Amino acid sequence: MHTSGHTQRASRTLTGLVGLVATGILLAGCATAESPEATEPVSGGTLTYASGDAEPTCLDPHVGGNYPQALVSTQYLESLVSRDEDGTIIPWLADSWTESADGLAWDFTLAADVSFTDGTPLDAAAVQANIAHIQDPETGSSTGYLALAKVTGTEAVSTNVVRLVLSEPDSALLESLSQPWLAIESPTALARSQDENCAAPVGTGPFQVEKWVQQESITLVRNKNYSSPPEDAGHTGPAYLDSIVWRFIPDSASRYAALQSGDADVIDNIQPDTIVQAEKSDTIVHLDAPRPGASNRIELNSGRAPFDDPLVREAFIRSANVDDAVTSLFHGTAERSYSALSSAEPLAVSGPDLFDYDPAAASDLLDSAGWTERDSDGYLVKDGERLTVDFPVSTNQSIPAEQSLFEQIQATAKETGFEVVLSPMDLSSWYTALGENDYDAVSAPYTKVGPDVLRILFHSDGIIPAPSGYFANHAQVNDPAIDALLTQAGQVTDAEERAALYADAQNMVLEGFYILPLFDQQNHYLLGTDVVGARALPTVSTPTFYDAWLK
Amino acid sequence: MSDLEIQAGLGRAPRAPRTARASRRFGVAEVLAGLFALFLVTAALFPTLVAPGDPLGIDPLSAFQTPSPAHWFGTDESGRDIYTRVSHGTGSSLLIGTLATLIGLGLGLVLGTLAGMLGPVVDFTVNRFLEVLFAFPGLLLALLFILIFGPGVATATVAVGLATAPGYARIIRGQLLSVRSSAFVEAATVLGRSPGQLLVRHILPNTLAPLFVLGTLGIGQAIVWASALSYLGLGAAPPAAEWGAMLSAGRTYIGSAWWMSFFPGLFIVLTAVSATALGRGIERRMRHA
Repeated sequence: MHTSGHTQRASRTLTGLVGLVATGILLAGCATAESPEATEPVSGGTLTYASGDAEPTCLDPHVGGNYPQALVSTQYLESLVSRDEDGTIIPWLADSWTESADGLAWDFTLAADVSFTDGTPLDAAAVQANIAHIQDPETGSSTGYLALAKVTGTEAVSTNVVRLVLSEPDSALLESLSQPWLAIESPTALARSQDENCAAPVGTGPFQVEKWVQQESITLVRNKNYSSPPEDAGHTGPAYLDSIVWRFIPDSASRYAALQSGDADVIDNIQPDTIVQAEKSDTIVHLDAPRPGASNRIELNSGRAPFDDPLVREAFIRSANVDDAVTSLFHGTAERSYSALSSAEPLAVSGPDLFDYDPAAASDLLDSAGWTERDSDGYLVKDGERLTVDFPVSTNQSIPAEQSLFEQIQATAKETGFEVVLSPMDLSSWYTALGENDYDAVSAPYTKVGPDVLRILFHSDGIIPAPSGYFANHAQVNDPAIDALLTQAGQVTDAEERAALYADAQNMVLEGFYILPLFDQQNHYLLGTDVVGARALPTVSTPTFYDAWLK
Repeated sequence: MSDLEIQAGLGRAPRAPRTARASRRFGVAEVLAGLFALFLVTAALFPTLVAPGDPLGIDPLSAFQTPSPAHWFGTDESGRDIYTRVSHGTGSSLLIGTLATLIGLGLGLVLGTLAGMLGPVVDFTVNRFLEVLFAFPGLLLALLFILIFGPGVATATVAVGLATAPGYARIIRGQLLSVRSSAFVEAATVLGRSPGQLLVRHILPNTLAPLFVLGTLGIGQAIVWASALSYLGLGAAPPAAEWGAMLSAGRTYIGSAWWMSFFPGLFIVLTAVSATALGRGIERRMRHA
């Protein structure tokens, strides 16, 4: 409800205030808890996870499909395949798979004797129902929907073999299917209304959703009959933990205070200065899990003025001093990126020379683009229009350090004559601003396993909104040559050819100055030392607590 | 709150008499408050006089510096000088505080006059309306307004003004009623003055004087509220040099850079305290004038 939004934010901030006081008190007495070294996993206990990400509006990641949903659904939903630390695709709910010679049909053999937590067996029909659910416009999927763009149909070859039929070969299909947004849910549960399924999706995971008190927490309890860990898991059988309480603490200082006081066992979205602080502590463990997919970047909307002019885009990029900002704000916890892709992606192409801070060159570029006059505030003007860059910032999807980084870019770009208007807003207002094409620059995280994320972000098809209303090509890149490269790269199976095609496409994107890469998208988790065995899944670096136990 | 209490709070109830001499002498608190207010007004009107730097000028490589002779109040996460930002933020904070108070007083005056002058039916209606408004805490009223009209400096100002209006309306009504029943007004009535003349020549002048005191006291409160709204992200947007917004930005780094939130917070407190001290001083002097 709209009304509750602001008051809620107020009350959350009040919680923050309380947390602030708590931080102060706690800073003084950082306890050094010494517990006897235990090496044998112990069953039982409740782990409290405090997330700084937005609270999902739906716990089923098929609907929409953002990172906050992936974080929590990793605990109760599983995918057909997973990925190990070397990047090799490994079996999960599917034991094995084969691709037809023409690449247009994939057969997946499902693991035997796996049931969803509502008792429904995992079979070919269940997988068919899931693909249909993701592709149904009524579901309002974006991430899963876009990943399945080439899948035109499904067939049940036998009870436990399902076939995906494709319109064209898809070299990224397995990577796509490994993601939490394409997890397999109980078809019985999917048949319920969307509201019911959003409140408590049913999967095959080590935990199941018990209750969700909105604006407070989600309670997950152990799945006693769990039988489908991925190959790289640490044990078999049910999880060690009795339950997980998944809380939402938007304020980063309060979140850290909760970890220090023991109110939370694990927290995410850590401020860089907090990481530095925590690394000095012997009661807190830092888990650094780089996210695959896109780098953290600013996308320049080439679909409207002023960034429809490549000269102005390049000028903006040259006028932004990102290096100093990353150095001052991230305390060495993040490296500057010069690539469209995360450095976790082996096929990432980096172009450091393209993104040098060079205000003189920026001024020359703007001069040749016709921005020659200045108004009384020092901003450039052309035909009576000020050189303004509207930059909506989602406060739910960025830590304060990122918002400060945008402020620094705003300040350096001002010296060249750009007026950057930063508008902090909550996630839903931000989606609206993007949907209405009411932005010139935006920083949107996009996580996907593998370089196929380039197709989602830079293929002109990505300007068309998915059923959820979300479109991923925020830079509004509309270049037939890039389209052709990305389409071809998505079809070839030869690794070298695929790498070369993706490299060409990346170079065209970088040289077209559609994006300003900032730093790698990272997941930093801080864990109390009593938490053992937690790890990030090598797919999209969401945490999994299947192997975790409490000392 | 009953009218009686409000009147008592305003100092209309009899108090221990004081000599005129004693009340004219400036207390230490008043002198300090006056000096600080002078600094604030100077900073508001000529910010470059007290802090020549650029409040938005970044210097990333000197971020998070502790207070030092080079940066009296330290620097923030982008290397901006906190002293410069706090000084330059004075203008907007004072402006917001003053405007909000004027809005609150203006609305309060209209409502209070309606209730106090137009007879029992209007009085009853206005009073019930005010009671409804009183049922909401002031800040909640301000939040509701912002919810409807969207965040920003202008809406925050109006919101704070609106939120304070019911209190003022109550006080003004009480004040009007007591002036109206006083001997000189009765005398004027007997002399056959029209109600309009009564209001303009006798009642309002005697009601407005205490309003000045209320206004001075109210500015401090309005600044605190406006800062609170900015702190919640509903007022000034970053990186504006506004106290509440600075306090909010500093909160993130409270564990590692206390000065980022301490100094803006100190200025909010000192401003509210000095406005209160000055208001009380004026009130005392007026009572004995």
